[in-house]
Amino acid sequence: MSLLTVEKVTSGYGDMEVLHEVSIAVDSQEIVTIIGPNGAGKSTLMKTIFGLLKPKSGRISFSDHEISALSADRIVRLGMAYVPQVENVFPSLTVRENLEMGAFIRSDDFSGRIREMYDLFPILGRRGRQQVGKMSGGERQMVAMARALMLNPQLILLDEPSAALAPNLAEVIFERIEAINDTGVAILIVEQNARQSLSLSDRGYVLASGRNRFTDTGENLLANEEIGQLYLGG
Amino acid sequence: MTTLAHIPQLLVYGIISGSIISLGGIGVSLTYSILGFSNFAHGDFMALGAYIALGLFTLFTGLGITNAPFGPLSFGFGFVLAFILAIALTAIAVILIDRLLFRRLRRSGPVILMMSSIGVALGLRNILQFFWSPQPHYYSQAIQPAVSLGVLNIRIKPDELFIIALAVVLVIVVHAFMRYTKMGKAMRAMADNATLAQVTGINTDRVIIWTWVIGAGLAATAGILAGIENKFITPELGWQMLLSIFAGVVLGGIGNPYGAILGGMVIGISEEVSTAFISTGYKPAVAFVIMIIMLLVKPTGLLGRKD
Repeated sequence: MSLLTVEKVTSGYGDMEVLHEVSIAVDSQEIVTIIGPNGAGKSTLMKTIFGLLKPKSGRISFSDHEISALSADRIVRLGMAYVPQVENVFPSLTVRENLEMGAFIRSDDFSGRIREMYDLFPILGRRGRQQVGKMSGGERQMVAMARALMLNPQLILLDEPSAALAPNLAEVIFERIEAINDTGVAILIVEQNARQSLSLSDRGYVLASGRNRFTDTGENLLANEEIGQLYLGG
Repeated sequence: MTTLAHIPQLLVYGIISGSIISLGGIGVSLTYSILGFSNFAHGDFMALGAYIALGLFTLFTGLGITNAPFGPLSFGFGFVLAFILAIALTAIAVILIDRLLFRRLRRSGPVILMMSSIGVALGLRNILQFFWSPQPHYYSQAIQPAVSLGVLNIRIKPDELFIIALAVVLVIVVHAFMRYTKMGKAMRAMADNATLAQVTGINTDRVIIWTWVIGAGLAATAGILAGIENKFITPELGWQMLLSIFAGVVLGGIGNPYGAILGGMVIGISEEVSTAFISTGYKPAVAFVIMIIMLLVKPTGLLGRKD
């Protein structure tokens, strides 16, 4: 039984269907990457899993709960977290306040968890009182990831974590993603430029025009010439 | 020179009126940034508060609860009790309106919410007229002499000093709430990005309730203070102030409660000081002109965000 199972999900915006019977699974402590060209439905899939879009058909289950009909604020309580691609921080709040918001539903003392986040992202520890809106793209991405980790989720969804980042910064982010995974958190990543992401993934899915195209281990997908040419930019 | 000699006194009137406009503006600003619509019923929330206070005060007087004036002020215990309870009851009434109406329309977008708030405004005003008639009502008919402050010939009534002091205290309390409490931070987070707030697990429904509690509570306070300052209340009281309030909110930067405080103060002072130069009848036009100039020159307002 996988941690997250998406079975034949059809979803979209209003009458427009973007995903057609998409199925994926993520096991505990796995890193899984979904790749595919622009408009393949990757972000739509993330939003549907996290309850921001209601699937028209199909089933989504997470750690033994059927979550297809649940809203995002219920899903977050089950131990899943989501980092959207854009607008993933509260810009007028400080770094620390962003993390406190991540722990909103915790009524216990979470200062230890904030310290763990500062250990994971030392730069955030030094800038705890800084307003996030004034930080760089890479730092914001770290704030967003740390915020999502505040509830100790079992699974974290990352929508294009390296988009719009300089290559050296993207490397830092991916290295942190591995560190997060080492603490036992399963990670589902959506990426457009996916070589880096696939190289650290246990498995990967290729999505095109809203349908499953391929699925294999990260290594095999990277080695596959056809996929390399079609989806990884040659 | 006689006109200029009046200016310090007009400035004081402006600060009094600006205090009331600012308290109203905080609620408009919070509703705009957190719930995402311009609430045209806010002025009528002020009138509702003023009339609930009147009703309770009349009841308490009938019950024989003392209202012996506190020192130089025009009111005592009975009125203060009515004042405090009116704030609570207005907040409850507004939360009920939200549950019955605004919540159901939340997904329909800002225009529908704004239109429905106009309906709420008309409905509330007519309910007040139905029970209390359109005629003015008085908290107190006693005449309170103004006292000299001893500088620049400025004279001010003790009640007016109370209005300014209460506004200052409430602004500090709201600031501390927004800055340091978990709910206040969640309100700022939701104002930043409501979807992300939901995704983060913030209980957005509770944030909305708190937004109404603060907005409606301050509206009731502003309405009652306007009644104290004007000496009478009518069902039109809040509606008549709404233009000044919106002008203040736009001037300060819509969606920023600190901007609403600053903007409200500037509008209040401008309106009063303008009477030294032009007819009192043009006071609302002054607010309008300032609002339009601000929208043309810097639509984000004095303290508005760049994005």
